[in-house]
Amino acid sequence: MKDETKFSVKDLNLFYGNFQALKNINMELYKGQITAFIGPSGCGKSTFLKTINRMNDLVEGVKITGNITMDGVDIYKDMDAITLRTRVGMVFQQPNPFPMSIYDNVAYGPRCQGIKDKKQLDEIVISALEQAAIYEEVKDRLKDSALALSGGQQQRLCIARAIAMQPKVILLDEPTSALDPIATSKIEDLILELKEKYTIIIVTHNMQQAARISDFTGFFLLGNLIEYKETKKLFKNPDDDRTKGYINGIFG
Amino acid sequence: MRAKARRWEFTMIKNSNTKLKDGIAGGLIYLSATITVAILIVIIGFVLYKGLPGINLKFLTRMWDDVTTVVDVNRNNVTGNNTEAGYVESLGISIALEDEAVVIKSIDNDSPVKDAVNVKKVPYALKKGDVIGKAGSTNFKNITLEEAKLALNEGTGPIKMKVTRPGGGIVPMLVSTIYIIGLTLIIAAPIGICAAIYLNEYAKPGKTLNIIRFAIQNLAGIPSIIYGLFGMLVFVQGFKMSYSILAGSFTLSIMLLPTIISTTEETLKEVPRTYRESSMGLGATKLQTISKIIIPSALPGILVAIILSIGRIVGESAALIWTAGTIAQIPKTLVGSEAAAATLTTKMYWLIKETADLEQASSIAVVLIVLVIALNILSKFITRRILKKRTS
Repeated sequence: MKDETKFSVKDLNLFYGNFQALKNINMELYKGQITAFIGPSGCGKSTFLKTINRMNDLVEGVKITGNITMDGVDIYKDMDAITLRTRVGMVFQQPNPFPMSIYDNVAYGPRCQGIKDKKQLDEIVISALEQAAIYEEVKDRLKDSALALSGGQQQRLCIARAIAMQPKVILLDEPTSALDPIATSKIEDLILELKEKYTIIIVTHNMQQAARISDFTGFFLLGNLIEYKETKKLFKNPDDDRTKGYINGIFG
Repeated sequence: MRAKARRWEFTMIKNSNTKLKDGIAGGLIYLSATITVAILIVIIGFVLYKGLPGINLKFLTRMWDDVTTVVDVNRNNVTGNNTEAGYVESLGISIALEDEAVVIKSIDNDSPVKDAVNVKKVPYALKKGDVIGKAGSTNFKNITLEEAKLALNEGTGPIKMKVTRPGGGIVPMLVSTIYIIGLTLIIAAPIGICAAIYLNEYAKPGKTLNIIRFAIQNLAGIPSIIYGLFGMLVFVQGFKMSYSILAGSFTLSIMLLPTIISTTEETLKEVPRTYRESSMGLGATKLQTISKIIIPSALPGILVAIILSIGRIVGESAALIWTAGTIAQIPKTLVGSEAAAATLTTKMYWLIKETADLEQASSIAVVLIVLVIALNILSKFITRRILKKRTS
């Protein structure tokens, strides 16, 4: 089955003031697949991830050239950032639930969109918590503060929070680097489950994680996309020497 | 051998020199602390000594000026069984002679004096402590208790009485202070908080922002009497508000803006950036992020800013003397002649300037000190609660 393109990135360049963080990125990101971005620190993988939901717009002095289209629509020129972010959700590296109850955290996004009906919100919250594989653990304390949860639980809550918006795409920026191995493996299992409903793009500095869960992997270095292909092929037979070097731990 | 001994002597001399220096320095430090505490004790002690005797329930509950009113009271046709010396049956009150004046000592629950009306037919209930100056056609000056009872019980039907409610209390100043606090906060808090939100969330870092911040800092340092001058020229005279609580509140609002803006900004800075990012990442607008996440997180800090402001308002004198005036009355309007109102501080100024009654001024000072200490305790209590919440 031919992979359907969700995002098409053409000649993307990004500048923080005078510093060029992304150099001529060209790639297709496929629907319903898990795509991983790997590379050493500072290679631009997180920056690139943030161009997909226009979070870089929030940073002063950022300049972007080239374009990114989602389902054929230019996300910078033909769409406004707020709408984009309701369709492309993001989970950050540090679990950061809002200082509110678990329920209110998950309901935050829908409420911002104007959903007020309690029954509707209940449905959305419970569904999101179930999809994030955390409902059973918190169903008796939905009104308790989210800050009382453990790190791994908080991160799953953040995933639920993103899912509650019923996005088509979920971006994950090193979602497990702040978590212990058990919590990490729980979240990796979760991501594999979510693949059925969502297009997933994950940035990770952990190569083994990329090899474990992703279908496609892109290797970044100093703002360039060095190599991008199916994960198995990239890890088994990388074309570029630099990819080889990174995967074999020669640098990183 | 000798060199070693010499070195040892040198060290010992150095040690004893150092010890002396340490001793003197330590002594000076202790002395400074003692002087500071002593000054505080002396000030408070002196004010308490002069002012405490004047503080009693009357001082705290009465109006400032004596108020004399003529009232009509319907009398009862009761024959009670109260045989107390000062009991007046027809009115259901007890009277007594104090300092040659006839004073109401107690009022029965069903006494008709509670339904007294003044000449404009507006209800004016008599109260304990009121002095009866005249009843019917009898002047109560230099009267005996028996004659007073007789005059009050004489005849049937309604009786006309001239009643004086003694003053000497600080109620008008307390009420005016509360009015001014409320008015000032209603004006200054929204403006200050919104300005802080603009500076912290919207403004782009750069030269303009630095200039704005610098201006706000300087505004905070301007002496309050200059605000008084400004308020007098612009609000009292320019806008023709005359001495009024509105003029006073506008002036105080301008004075407090820098404090509110700075404190609120500090609080906003403490809200983690990740909250903003997460909120925007979920498709919320900037305004939604601010109203749903940032302001609720910043509320405790904003509360502290407000309490600090209340403390400054209570203690402010120079700015209010020239804008709200020094007349001790409960203001009935925002502007105009009935809007002038003295606060505790401005009345103190008036007392010191116009009368020789430093005892009364000291009594007001005692009330002020108690208020300030209470506000300090309150703000510390709230700050501690905030810290507890944050670290839980």
